[in-house]
Amino acid sequence: MATLFRYEIKRLLRDTRMILIAIVAPLVLIPIIIFVMRAVERSEERRLDDTVYDYVLVGDEAEWGREIVAAALELEANDPDTLRAPVRFQEKQGENVDSLLTAASIHLVVEALSPAAYEAIRAEEAAADGAAAADSSETDSTDDPAEDDQSESGVDGLSDTDAEAELLLPTMRLRYRAQSDFSRNAADRLRSRLDEVRTEVRDSLYRARGFPVAVDQIAAVETENTASAEKEGGAILGLALTPFLILLMLSGGSIMAVDAISGEKERGTLETLLTTAAARADIVAAKQLAIIAVGFTVAVINVLNLAAYFVLGVIDIPDNFAVALSALDLLLLLILFLPLTVLISSSLLLLSGYAKSYKEYQIYFLPLVIVFLMPSLAGAMPSMDLRSAIALVPIAGIGVAVREIMVGEYDWLFMGLAFVSTGAAAWYAATLTERTLSTERLISASDMDEADLLGGPALFPRHVLRWFGVMWVALLLISMWFGDELGLRGQVVVNLGFIFLGSSLLMVRRYGLDPRTAFALRPVHPAVWPAVLLGAPSAYLVGIGLAGLVNTYILPVPQSTLEAFGDALLGDEMPLWELVLLLTIMPAILEELTFRGVLLHGLRKKMGPVGVCLVVGAIFGMFHVSLFRLIPTGFLGVIFAAVVLLTGSVFPAMLWHFANNFIGLLPQHMGWVSEETVLPWWAYATAVVGLAVAMWIIWRVRTPYPDLKKKRPEEYG
Amino acid sequence: MGPDREATDMDETPTTRHPGEEQVMDNSRVRVQSLQKSFWDESRGEVRAVDGIDFDCRPGEIFGLLGANGAGKTTTLRMLSTILKPTGGQAWLNGHSVLDEPEAVRRSLGFFSASTALYPRLTGRETLDFFARINRYPAERVAERVEDLIERFGIKEYAGARVEKLSSGMKQKISIARTIVHDPPVLIFDEPTVGLDIMAALEMQRVIRELREEGKAIIFSTHIMSEAEKLCDRIAIIHQGRILALGTLEEHRQATGQHYLEDIFVHEVMAAERGEDATAGAGASSESDTSP
Repeated sequence: MATLFRYEIKRLLRDTRMILIAIVAPLVLIPIIIFVMRAVERSEERRLDDTVYDYVLVGDEAEWGREIVAAALELEANDPDTLRAPVRFQEKQGENVDSLLTAASIHLVVEALSPAAYEAIRAEEAAADGAAAADSSETDSTDDPAEDDQSESGVDGLSDTDAEAELLLPTMRLRYRAQSDFSRNAADRLRSRLDEVRTEVRDSLYRARGFPVAVDQIAAVETENTASAEKEGGAILGLALTPFLILLMLSGGSIMAVDAISGEKERGTLETLLTTAAARADIVAAKQLAIIAVGFTVAVINVLNLAAYFVLGVIDIPDNFAVALSALDLLLLLILFLPLTVLISSSLLLLSGYAKSYKEYQIYFLPLVIVFLMPSLAGAMPSMDLRSAIALVPIAGIGVAVREIMVGEYDWLFMGLAFVSTGAAAWYAATLTERTLSTERLISASDMDEADLLGGPALFPRHVLRWFGVMWVALLLISMWFGDELGLRGQVVVNLGFIFLGSSLLMVRRYGLDPRTAFALRPVHPAVWPAVLLGAPSAYLVGIGLAGLVNTYILPVPQSTLEAFGDALLGDEMPLWELVLLLTIMPAILEELTFRGVLLHGLRKKMGPVGVCLVVGAIFGMFHVSLFRLIPTGFLGVIFAAVVLLTGSVFPAMLWHFANNFIGLLPQHMGWVSEETVLPWWAYATAVVGLAVAMWIIWRVRTPYPDLKKKRPEEYG
Repeated sequence: MGPDREATDMDETPTTRHPGEEQVMDNSRVRVQSLQKSFWDESRGEVRAVDGIDFDCRPGEIFGLLGANGAGKTTTLRMLSTILKPTGGQAWLNGHSVLDEPEAVRRSLGFFSASTALYPRLTGRETLDFFARINRYPAERVAERVEDLIERFGIKEYAGARVEKLSSGMKQKISIARTIVHDPPVLIFDEPTVGLDIMAALEMQRVIRELREEGKAIIFSTHIMSEAEKLCDRIAIIHQGRILALGTLEEHRQATGQHYLEDIFVHEVMAAERGEDATAGAGASSESDTSP
């Protein structure tokens, strides 16, 4: 493998063009772009400062206006406070000011209007604009909605003496063209100066009439940020870190990945490589390592590059920006990014294997980037808390966990969950990748492998997890978007009827499965039935006990969640028969057909019986969408799967499922028990024994599920 | 370069056998039994590219697979090189089962075809070094082996240049050297002369003969009659995934009454297409029994 890796890297390093484009170009181009942009910005600023701005003053209160503007310009010319150089204004004379403004002959039109004239203009405009402008026509309004190219703003009455006659004060309007930097700058500058003049005039009026305090001290508001600069910096950096690194790893790793399989295919070296004694696993591992190495190198180069610009001051650091990361934080970040790195490299390699050529790779690359970036942005969502289902979403969980570490919050359990979920995705992608290289399709399009040859039923095990993935997403989206509107009835119909039953039937049809085999519709030994009737209540109690343990020691469930769930189960105005139908009979039949029927059938050859039980249970648990129901439903899912594997039939699991839900529903519905009901310990002990006895009986009379996984050679060309 | 010493380098005596398979390990290096490969075609359903073929190949023998394009030659050879997985039957190379020990099979095998290209950005010397190592040639002898081959194929002047800069003739030499760099006992040449000019093709034939002298078991597929006639010790005529006839050129002549291989080939194919039992032909070899 070392040889494979060494030569992968060697070949890449000799691809001068690729290196130039991927690494050197950004290093050289980014500073150039930054310098050019800053130069342009500076010269633009200078031009804005140096320009003498031309304005025309019109209106029936022109004299008043000229006075005010003169005061404002006086301030602009002599104000020592300003951080910016003062700009000069110059009054022009002209007729037909609008066309002058449009033709850019002047920068600004200043209108000084008596109240009557102002009202007249407003009414005219309101008529022209329709109702839109009507409600903003109060004299006090400072900003009017912008019109196409001529925006305007009103500066309200800077009045002479009469404080009571507010409505009779003249108004000043500035008209400018927003698309011209100069016109806009002129308006902004003059406007801010006019505001100052207005404040001054107002204050002097107040003082003249004996107002006791300084006006700006009335109802003063001050904001203070209690977060340290480190926390603030961490929060900002935490948002961007994961997507930024993902982007760098993807683009960097891609340099290697594009060549890894699709390049080899295109050059015809893949067949040469595959006919050597190198093990497939070694080839995949070497390629993956190479992708990680290159992706990592590119990421490091770019981060250093960026850091250098910060240090050199090419890019400005926000004021007060600071980040404090301890060695532990860095280690945690590294650990969290590890599965992400593997996931990225596997996905890239998978893409490379899937694409037939460089070109195809490029086409698929963008969607892949989006698939990675979208969840990674979860960390940027303001209300997203790691202590939620987001921890279970690969990539997204890492994004949120990273953000929390950056601000110094450590939620160990959920950090672990985020690691595990992304890790599981990475592991899955890695195994998929290895299989890709064993796929005969790699060699040529017409050469397909065994599954393709045998067609539908043989292809099904390979696709079954994808189907359930899509179903899960559909279920999640529907419950998120329409959960409330659908109500219990609607949800049961949509989830069980459409998603579960519909997809199951689609799968049976699409892969030409025999329904009796796929759904495991087989007769069973009669002794199974009493065993199920014993097992169901026992398992129900064991499940409650298990959930209680989890609730107490690992993951406390908020009381509100429990109550909400209870309420949902009780469904206020529904008659008992309908509840029984919706919550016991339908789930028993449809969920069993879906999970212990089709899903188990698809998985039966992919792993050993224990693996099948665990995976079916886990998936069943995940379909209950709530993190707090994962454990009890997962536990039941495992038991149901075991019963199906032992009896070879889905019917006992249906009965068990029905009995379980019925026990869960009836006593609560009839008010025999409540959330507060506490069972004595011996009840749980008895339940464990009962469950064991039931399973033992089923084991004794077992008629195992046919056609399970047989031991096959792992490595296959 | 002493062929005898070389031949023993990687020559593993077959120790692993597939349990329960009766396998006659006379002295054949390649043994193919009822090998079958089907593909699924959306419109046509199951397509049998290779439909139960049997043959063997001994050390120091060039075994020819002669057939038109699409007859199943490449599919057969890809199954032997473990790139494709048989859907039925079994095959052993150097005593290793293609189903159960694919890596051991590939270690005993040098595979050359028109679609086995070289890495353009490696030099000739690096190419040989790389393939010797990943084929598990003893590391301490790799350098010596590589230099031997560079000498043998007369590629010294350009062994240090990148492959992408070389002419196709030069590339071909490096490609053959690449095929035998780990000194495998079995060599497969899948239409190696396709696209070569006449001189290059003759050079290729010379090298293959030389390898036969060194005791390699060589499987050679072609659709060019004259090549098979000149080169192969035994020839199997393959058509629509089946071996129609198998034997030496002389045996084929006797069985069909035709002199030239071209005529023999046409005779066999026509007979098969007429639905006649064409297997009586080259009776000498027991492996030729492919009657439906």
